[in-house]
Amino acid sequence: MKSLRLLSAAALAVTATAASAHYGMIIPSDSMVSQEDGRAVALEVSFSHPFEKAGMTLVKPAAFSVTHEGETTDLLGALEPATIMGEAGFTTEHALDRPGVHIFSMTPEPYWEPDEDAFITHFTKTYVSAYDDDEGWDAELGLKTEIVPLTKPFALWEGNNFQGIVKLDGEPVPYAEVEVEFYNEDGSAEAPSELMITQTVKADGNGVFTYAAPSAGWWGFAALSTAAEPLHFEGVDKDHELGAVIWVHFEEWK
Amino acid sequence: MIRAFVLSLAMIAVALPAAAHKLRVFAFVEGETVKVEAKFSSGRIPKAGEVRVMDAEEALVLTLPLDPEGMTSFPLDPDAAADGLMIEVRAGDGHSNYWLLTPADIQRGRVGQ
Repeated sequence: MKSLRLLSAAALAVTATAASAHYGMIIPSDSMVSQEDGRAVALEVSFSHPFEKAGMTLVKPAAFSVTHEGETTDLLGALEPATIMGEAGFTTEHALDRPGVHIFSMTPEPYWEPDEDAFITHFTKTYVSAYDDDEGWDAELGLKTEIVPLTKPFALWEGNNFQGIVKLDGEPVPYAEVEVEFYNEDGSAEAPSELMITQTVKADGNGVFTYAAPSAGWWGFAALSTAAEPLHFEGVDKDHELGAVIWVHFEEWK
Repeated sequence: MIRAFVLSLAMIAVALPAAAHKLRVFAFVEGETVKVEAKFSSGRIPKAGEVRVMDAEEALVLTLPLDPEGMTSFPLDPDAAADGLMIEVRAGDGHSNYWLLTPADIQRGRVGQ
């Protein structure tokens, strides 16, 4: 009885801490905007635990932009403060003036995570196709660390594979570790084990990883590495986790 | 609103091949000019094509050829375009598609937003 009580007390303590991974998030209202859908896309920008819908504070990012046909436009000033998953994040709406793929990208300020005794910076992006034009779906932005898609990062059926190359400083990262997590937007997904909240795959020797999404919805892929240069916290060197994050939507097979 | 407009115009378009053989058509207004662009999903430019411009009542406003760059343009007729325009491009061999210019698209292009 005593042990049961202890266990439940421990369980209560644990529920306050999200078991899943941290994710920079950029979630558009639609990954494929057709001419019937309108002429703009709405975006939610946050730093969260997507499976458990537990938000964290996202301060104003260092950069937020859209890239289309090789041209990058600064959208930092268009971000509006908003509450996302209970914490500070941002929203914006962006007019899609031209067909093709519009890549939204965020570079946040390094996030100090005392639990992990490290800083975290997730270079986050997502690809939105406008008006049934997929030109530019495989574009590389040249971020510090980045997942370059080998599979078109939209127009995927649930169950499809998603493949990408993990890059750091423009070079493939052999055997990179990629964390995968579902954005449990309506809360209907249940994990039978904490191990199922964030799944992990490794890239091959060329930095190429593969994941098959079991259900429709938004899936986040985060390839993690540690920066060569530590950051300082209260005068002490601390690890700096660099995340290459891409958000990919899979469609329901009907 | 945009969906209702597009759906009403799209009714006109149901006679076109649904998959439209992956010809992509885009049109926009710049000042007092309507600009039309067409390309295949491969990125290649159609060598020739006919552009048919219809008003919201399905009445043919004008036809004109695509230029060798897969583009064309024509002066905006504000009366004909009052309720929007459907711009259909036929590139031959059943390759056709359309773009629906809504009144909001036209207004946005005229004021240069």
